[in-house]
Amino acid sequence: MKSNPNDSTLGKQVGLTCCPTCNKVTCAKSACCSRCDTKLIIRDYASLQKSWALLITAAILLIPANLYPITTLTNQGKVTQDTIFSGIAHLVKTDMIPIAIILFTASILVPLLKIIGLTIYLTAISFKLPISKKNLMIGFHIIEWIGRWSMLDLFVISLTVAVVNMGQLLDAKPAPAATAFALVILLTQLAAKVIDTRLLWDRLESKNDSSTNT
Amino acid sequence: MASDALDNSVTLCRSCDLVIRKRALPSGVRALCPRCHTQLYDTPYCSINGMLALCITAIIFFFPANTYPVLELEFLGSMRTTTVLEGAIAVYQQGYWVVAVAVMTAAVIAPGILLVSILVQIVIIKYGLQHSLLRSILKQALKLQGLLTQLTMLEIYVISFLVAAFNLADFATVSFSFGTFCFTMLFIMHLFLLREYDIEHMWSFLEK
Repeated sequence: MKSNPNDSTLGKQVGLTCCPTCNKVTCAKSACCSRCDTKLIIRDYASLQKSWALLITAAILLIPANLYPITTLTNQGKVTQDTIFSGIAHLVKTDMIPIAIILFTASILVPLLKIIGLTIYLTAISFKLPISKKNLMIGFHIIEWIGRWSMLDLFVISLTVAVVNMGQLLDAKPAPAATAFALVILLTQLAAKVIDTRLLWDRLESKNDSSTNT
Repeated sequence: MASDALDNSVTLCRSCDLVIRKRALPSGVRALCPRCHTQLYDTPYCSINGMLALCITAIIFFFPANTYPVLELEFLGSMRTTTVLEGAIAVYQQGYWVVAVAVMTAAVIAPGILLVSILVQIVIIKYGLQHSLLRSILKQALKLQGLLTQLTMLEIYVISFLVAAFNLADFATVSFSFGTFCFTMLFIMHLFLLREYDIEHMWSFLEK
């Protein structure tokens, strides 16, 4: 190995691999990690297919999650159903802009950006698109970090449903989009978790070398 | 090359497989992968006794946080309260079990298991490293740590109190109570506990 800082020797090339569970560096020839007994995989090529499958399912479920109502509210005998978007629109109308912004980010922006971002990411690996790997990876780290915040809407629904139960006077119930929305969160989180990010850096190697050196 | 790994002078980036020479870091500084900016390692140190104190405090707050009401609502003279668990059960009773399981896992089950798991890890490290059975329990607990941390979403639940309160303030009088205080304290203790927790340091006890 050279001492050049721009040197990009890969673990694969020198017969080392890192344990997916405990991050210990071990000889790639051994079958299991010496520290935690997890099976060692140098590159998980099947993870790309798994991730695509999860992502496509999530993208399909995003449609019912946004079109169907997510809560049913009975206020003095009058029944109204709110979708994610109309709920936020109502908040804007009643001048609760900060809460509206939080909910808009957590329930509409984050799931949508997560699906678009992961699609770009997976397309770049599958079809070897010439997109800067550094930007893709920064995007991926943001997706990993912010993705869980979509759970906010489900927590709010569960608190609201539990506390607002006065029959015909005032009553809140969840509606079908809640399940679809929960599944969107679960599937997109899994899609980001299963993907072996090392594949990105392997497959775009030749393209990126020419773009960074010039 | 394989011998390099044994003396721990070389590490691999888990996101892009780049070979990186380890350097000593001042405390509080984190090494990032030069190629993909993934966090690589920091000073592998955590105070076991400090963690024990935080962990016990968090467990003490865990019980009132889940048994006392976190949100109270007054509407035309009648009062409704809810705990975190009742919130999940209410959604379950409406038939939305997927949502109920998600709420239960992220707000009650995962944090509970995480705290017990850390407590068990600390006790084993302090008193029971000689026994092979306890060592294998420690190993399993450390393997689960990453998953449990990801499933624990206390910070999001704390924000959801506020959002729910503002949402409902439109119809009725909403107030927080003792449970809200305990839940927020549970969140703060868990935050500091995980800041102190260093998985690499915990693994190193098993290698001795």
